[in-house]
Amino acid sequence: MPLLRPLLAVVMILLAASPVAAQDRPRVVAVNYALQYFAERLVGDTAEVIFPVPQDVDPSFWRPSIADISTIQSADLILLNGAGFATWVDRVSLPRAKVANTTAAIEDRFIRTESITHSHGDGDEHSHEGLASYTWLDPMLAIAQAEAIASAITARGIAPEDEVANRLAALRTDLEGLDTQATRAFAGMQDIAMIATHPRYQYLARRYDLSLTSLEWEAGAMPTDAERAELVALVAQTGAQVLIWEAEPPADAFAIAANLGLANIVFPTLAHGVEEGDYMQAVAAALTAMSDASPQ
Amino acid sequence: MDRTVIRAIALASICAVAPMGAAAHQLTVFATTDCEMVTVEAKFSNGNPVMLADVRVLDGNNTLLLTLPINEDGTVAVPLDSVDHSGGLVIEVDTGSHENYWIVTPDDIARSCQS
Repeated sequence: MPLLRPLLAVVMILLAASPVAAQDRPRVVAVNYALQYFAERLVGDTAEVIFPVPQDVDPSFWRPSIADISTIQSADLILLNGAGFATWVDRVSLPRAKVANTTAAIEDRFIRTESITHSHGDGDEHSHEGLASYTWLDPMLAIAQAEAIASAITARGIAPEDEVANRLAALRTDLEGLDTQATRAFAGMQDIAMIATHPRYQYLARRYDLSLTSLEWEAGAMPTDAERAELVALVAQTGAQVLIWEAEPPADAFAIAANLGLANIVFPTLAHGVEEGDYMQAVAAALTAMSDASPQ
Repeated sequence: MDRTVIRAIALASICAVAPMGAAAHQLTVFATTDCEMVTVEAKFSNGNPVMLADVRVLDGNNTLLLTLPINEDGTVAVPLDSVDHSGGLVIEVDTGSHENYWIVTPDDIARSCQS
């Protein structure tokens, strides 16, 4: 039959182009959604980018299973955030040749923190220095991390260098756009005290010179009575006018803050993905809400 | 409120409660395997070895296989032939006040047997 051969050829091409090709693509693992998003922008369709942490688990403190680590070890590239993000990376063997620390070049810009003082057995009391981890919330640091990812991708031949360079230029432009939007959104807000429901925004606050005090509330949860009392005290202490939520809480929680004279802003940290839209859209929406709350 | 005061409060708040990579695990656990045994080492972040702790060995399904006391030098050896390690092992060290873990995958063990 004269049509049989062309038909067979079409079927073979279709089979080759879909699932099999997907399995053959290089695999990149990222320790948070921000890095996953940057990597996906940079590789296009040439690689699969995996962020393995379940949606209901904080990626900073995720405890992977052995199967998770086996999957990660077999990836072609493992993107770490550095700055102490993702404690599990210090509890497993990761193949050095596959690991890229995306903040290795910007360690001099880390924000150092200090934990609560305690002692071990008979030892003297002491405290542990730590690092603020959510580096990408400063768009300039996010650009540096995207550049590190691009270098890691091309160094391992995961995607063609010229394509990655073009995509990096586009990503850099988008992140610079976010920085411009943020500069405008926070203009004139440097003297307005703000409170964050979780200490995630140190790099954002430094970039835009914000006066930000942090609570330790669970993301998206209704604050307890004790937490409400803490908020009342902090508002009295700081004169705060803005409350930044890591995730949208129940409506009653918004009402509690509003009754204290606080403008409620949901600013996702992007350690996890958002339900609607992507990284750029989520940050842009948060900045628009911030602009709307601005007294200007 | 004075801007300097606001900043001082904000800074104090950040220092007191910020999430910290290093501070989140004041007990460091490390394990290596040489094909015959898994050697576990546990230290506090000040460098002192852990002298008193339970070392729990779990399989890939988080089933407890073995519990051993740690030696005074902060190490303990787990013979691989004493446990079913086909699905990998999770090593947990628990001092009572501090706890941490190390994951050994089947690939880690297989690689150690090739070298």
